[in-house]
Amino acid sequence: MFPWIKRAVVFGFPWPIVVLSVFVGPQDSIAPKEALEWMASMMMGAPAAENADLVRAIVWDIRLPRILLAFCVGGALAASGATLQAVFRNPLVCPYILGLSSGAAFGAAVALAVGFLPVYGSAFLFAMAAVGCSYALGRVGKAVTPVSLVLSGIIVSGIFTALLTIVQFLADPFRLQTIVHWTMGNLHNAEWKRVLDSVPLMGCGGVGMFFLRWRMNVLALGDQEAYAVGVDPEREKITMLIPATLAASAAVAAAGIIGMVGLVVPHMVRMMLGPDNRVGMPACFLFGGAFLVLVDDFSRALTAFELPIGIFTTLVGGPFFIFLLRRFRLGWAV
Amino acid sequence: MKDRHGCDASAGNEAALCVRNLRFAYGGVEVLRHVSFDIKPQRFTVLVGRNGSGKSTLFRLLVGLLKPQEGRIAVFGRDLHRLSLRERTRLLGFLPQHHHPVFPFSVEDVVLTGRAAHAGLVPKAQDRAAVREALEQLGIEPLASKPYTELSGGEQQLVLIARVLAQKPKVLLLDEPTSHLDFVNAHRLMALVRDSLCAHMTVVAILHDPNLAFQHGTDFFFLADGHVFQPDSGRDPWNSALLERVYGVPMETISFGNGAVVVPGDFSKSARP
Amino acid sequence: MTLWGLATLLSLWVLAWIGPAAAGSVEVVDFRGKTVLLKEPARRIVCLIESALSGLYMLGAADRVVGVSSNIYEGSVRPYYEALDPRIRFKSLPAPGNWDFINVESVVALKPDLVILWAHQTEAIQALENRGIAVFGVFVERFADVHREIEAFGVLTGTEERSRELIRAVAQERQWVDEKLQAATALGRPTVYFMWAQGDLETSGENSTVDELIEMAGGVNAFKHMPQEHVTVHWESVLKADPDLIVMWVNAARDPLHILSDVRWRWVKAVKNKRVHELPDVFTSDLWTLKYPVAVLTLARWLHPQAFHGEDLKGRRRAFLERLYNSAAVARVADHVPLD
Repeated sequence: MFPWIKRAVVFGFPWPIVVLSVFVGPQDSIAPKEALEWMASMMMGAPAAENADLVRAIVWDIRLPRILLAFCVGGALAASGATLQAVFRNPLVCPYILGLSSGAAFGAAVALAVGFLPVYGSAFLFAMAAVGCSYALGRVGKAVTPVSLVLSGIIVSGIFTALLTIVQFLADPFRLQTIVHWTMGNLHNAEWKRVLDSVPLMGCGGVGMFFLRWRMNVLALGDQEAYAVGVDPEREKITMLIPATLAASAAVAAAGIIGMVGLVVPHMVRMMLGPDNRVGMPACFLFGGAFLVLVDDFSRALTAFELPIGIFTTLVGGPFFIFLLRRFRLGWAV
Repeated sequence: MKDRHGCDASAGNEAALCVRNLRFAYGGVEVLRHVSFDIKPQRFTVLVGRNGSGKSTLFRLLVGLLKPQEGRIAVFGRDLHRLSLRERTRLLGFLPQHHHPVFPFSVEDVVLTGRAAHAGLVPKAQDRAAVREALEQLGIEPLASKPYTELSGGEQQLVLIARVLAQKPKVLLLDEPTSHLDFVNAHRLMALVRDSLCAHMTVVAILHDPNLAFQHGTDFFFLADGHVFQPDSGRDPWNSALLERVYGVPMETISFGNGAVVVPGDFSKSARP
Repeated sequence: MTLWGLATLLSLWVLAWIGPAAAGSVEVVDFRGKTVLLKEPARRIVCLIESALSGLYMLGAADRVVGVSSNIYEGSVRPYYEALDPRIRFKSLPAPGNWDFINVESVVALKPDLVILWAHQTEAIQALENRGIAVFGVFVERFADVHREIEAFGVLTGTEERSRELIRAVAQERQWVDEKLQAATALGRPTVYFMWAQGDLETSGENSTVDELIEMAGGVNAFKHMPQEHVTVHWESVLKADPDLIVMWVNAARDPLHILSDVRWRWVKAVKNKRVHELPDVFTSDLWTLKYPVAVLTLARWLHPQAFHGEDLKGRRRAFLERLYNSAAVARVADHVPLD
């Protein structure tokens, strides 16, 4: 396939998905026609329909923040995943590998259990702290090798998971259920407040990763190779880990732990567009965002009740990934 | 006049690389002892030695990957270890060994990473021009869009050399740059180095094949027993008695035109395998 | 009462005659469908479910309880149990576990002849049964299950007469509410959205005590069409259902005030008309004990206030609780709980 076709698809497909998602909803909700009519009446000043209040509440208060949040979370996780895969030169790495998800889950659990701490802030801080710990532990001498970093990530993850279990043990059954629900990943409580809290952080992380996207190419060739052309691999890696952690922590704090996106979307983008991060990084953000919006559309329309979105990311992402795997080669020399 | 390192510091005669009293031991074993030599600018200097003679160690010391226990290395009069990474990269370029490609970057993208010390965050037109130039110099321009991982070993090596060229350093250090190249291409590369590169950069190559060295190099040093020896000035390097010391075998010289090739002689008289 | 409940009652009644007469033994079928067999009415009971424990107190069989659930000592139910039992006041009744974590060794050390657990706590149940201890597994989905539970406990503790009396009391209370509501419900049933404490979108569908609660209180469940007992619904579905009244389960984190000021709720009828209520107290609003008519009464009053005009509902509640527990002390504690 011509490269420009692939690029057009990857960069062009998010926008119609986002727009059309506004019209998607559960079966017992308003019809797409009603939403369209309401939007038309808003834009052209036409007289509002009888159920304008309801439509407005659904489209503006419920759907729009949810779509935006899904887009940013998906984008942040995918971009983060791409960054980490470049930094670690490892295809099996996802944004949660340095203890980020366990730290966030623990932070959220503590906040939910005590009641007076903000859940979002707590999850975010502990996510960042966990990654910081992994990094500090992973320093063997002066250098931080990928293996030592991943190992310390596993240890830090384990510690936070154990602490999480203690919190769950001490919490009462209702709060315990809330904690469990939180960790399963959910977008159904998306509201404008949450969007405004989390999007700037994800945006900062995203922008940081965007600026560093070519430097990832340099790092991706190897530590010695990077050193040879004047790039200090360790400093560069920290510089890249910071925006990646920022974006992923904000995403996890906002929407819980959603799997698959951070691991698989970078592969998908690489298979379609090649390994050059100058194109790949923005593509990951857009494609990851659109991917999660699409998956969330499924979860909203298919069932009458809310299921954890992680189920759908696997059910939708899995087959698509397999299709890509058969069509193109894996963008990785294994 | 000499500077505080003992290096030639007179204007116009400044050494590109000046090594004084270098000593390096690895795990208690002395690998290099009392090594001193000067590399003249805009010349093709070749360090000749056998595998295991400390060639790679010397190379890594010259490049700053290892720190010597004793001694000084100066690049154009500046102490190597005092330079920032960026400064060092602009002065010194080297080919890393054992490259393991993981991502199928295009050749062009691989060479472009060589501009990291110049480009900042995103490469600009001048960086892409440098890449073009480097590819053309080595004659691999047609490979520009091909994935690096699909090339042969020799082609990959040329790409990595192009990467170092794109970096535009003042001194180029090459450790066995012809290891994956076939017979003709090895000579072609060495000829290119001597004829076009030395016009504006200093090249130091470490080779184990003396004939490749003698046919294309301009200055020579021999590495043996942890020491660096300079052949007597005025004599052809292939006539040096040092050759036997370096290779542990008496050498036969076969002259042709302006040059000669050396061939190992009687192995029964060899000092060691 | 459902046909099935009636059939169970009948068979238990038959068993009550045949069983003890046959071998002096006690036999019931628990909620797993397993037959629980005791040689004689239970004398040492470890009950790790608070609502079931409540039932034992109502039956007057509390003196046989040797171990309770730990949340008796921790939660808001503590003052009630302290009023019921000095052992709890002086913390002398052991608490070897709760709904989630059970210390099997501690339970065994109490030498029980009957242990009451949730039917889904399979690991603990198996561990206890392997040691030859009889276990009664509980699972409550509808009010009929609560009745069945108290009947089974009556048989297990030899207090069948009392269990019948309790069920009669409940029937009378329900009848009273039904009569009060007859006129009001003929005019229409408001739509009610029940909100669990885990989240704004957590509610119950058709096969649940919540659904029955709403029905008995003269309303209709906004999510009656969902089959699940506990379900997370879509925001849009809630907005579309547009309930007339929102009732929250006892919630530490959120109040009706939060709902009334929440941006996402503002277009819902219940919020516009300020008809958002929270059940006041876990003990008195418990839907898994025979106290459920109290919750029905509370909700009925919110739904059809004019039907209860002039009635002393607090007094009614006090009398009912006193009748159930045979204890004025418990009723007095309940008096501190507002009816709103």
